[in-house]
Amino acid sequence: MRFARRLISALIMTIAAAGAIRVKGKGGTPPRHGGWRPVRIPPNDGGIE
Amino acid sequence: MTLWLAGNGVVGSRVAKLCGGEVVALFDPRRDPLPEMDKGDSVVLAYPGRHRSLVEQCGLQGASVITLADDLNDTQQLFELDAIFAKNEASLVIGSGMSPGLSGLIARHLSSRLSRVDEIHIAMHGTAGPACARLHHRSLSGHSPGYVDGDWKEFHGGSGRELCWFPEPVGAVDCYRAESPLPILLHRTFPDVRRISSRRSATRRDRLTARLPMLRPPHAEGGVGALRIEVRGALGDGARETYVMGIAELVGSASAAVIAAMVTELNENGLPNGVVIPGAKDLPTNRLLHHVQEYGVRIQEFTGQPSD
Repeated sequence: MRFARRLISALIMTIAAAGAIRVKGKGGTPPRHGGWRPVRIPPNDGGIE
Repeated sequence: MTLWLAGNGVVGSRVAKLCGGEVVALFDPRRDPLPEMDKGDSVVLAYPGRHRSLVEQCGLQGASVITLADDLNDTQQLFELDAIFAKNEASLVIGSGMSPGLSGLIARHLSSRLSRVDEIHIAMHGTAGPACARLHHRSLSGHSPGYVDGDWKEFHGGSGRELCWFPEPVGAVDCYRAESPLPILLHRTFPDVRRISSRRSATRRDRLTARLPMLRPPHAEGGVGALRIEVRGALGDGARETYVMGIAELVGSASAAVIAAMVTELNENGLPNGVVIPGAKDLPTNRLLHHVQEYGVRIQEFTGQPSD
């Protein structure tokens, strides 16, 4: 009985901590698109750049 | 000078359109006898299958040849023809599509920013016409060469999953090792690089059915394809750096643009005699990439910053 109480308390504390981090956390969602920009390559060489 | 064009599929028809200013003569080597060619003519082979014997005959007539080089064994045999082309003062361009082809050119462009290149990793998404789709299907069940820490290793096609990020609108796609001559071509142009890998995108169904015949006929043309070139190495002060460039474009259009760029360079300034591999040190890489852009391909660089 004592073990079960401890287990339930630990679970509640874990859920509370995870909930607090999720609500108050500042991580946000990582970007899922973008990050590329077009480049223009000039014809400036006769061999290796 | 005549430009002989073999293949009238997705890539071949676009090459004919892009090279409209040249004298283009179509022929089908699978049906017609080899036409009489003059010294200085150029031949573009934009059809699937093995090209070695045809390339040899063209070389003996003194014509320069531009091939897509999509077959691993055939490509390795093409290297043996170097002496014939060098003797006849002609060029044999091996690998002139999106990959091999554009991938080598961009890898060389990126390597010029580094004082030492250690790794080159290429990933490709999409196919051009039906022949290209069949090749993609077969490649996932073939043997994929990879260069790892200075040694060649044979991997199974369809292994080595990696999530690769391509330019928009393609985005993130799972890519796998596949049978391709690209690592061998890149090793010839970058002999000091310790790691070279090549991957192609595939779905679960592609991998599951790779060893079976295609379950349904391929589309007339695949959708928007993409290419990603990642070059890792060291700067002059020893700092490690990674550069990534790519394109998102119809594979047939990008391949045709690379072929047209090679034809333009061949006619305007000439290419080295003998075997020529896109990305080789003695090629005017920036000028070729400029031609590719002029033919409508938009090259992009990964910055790591969201675009909006």
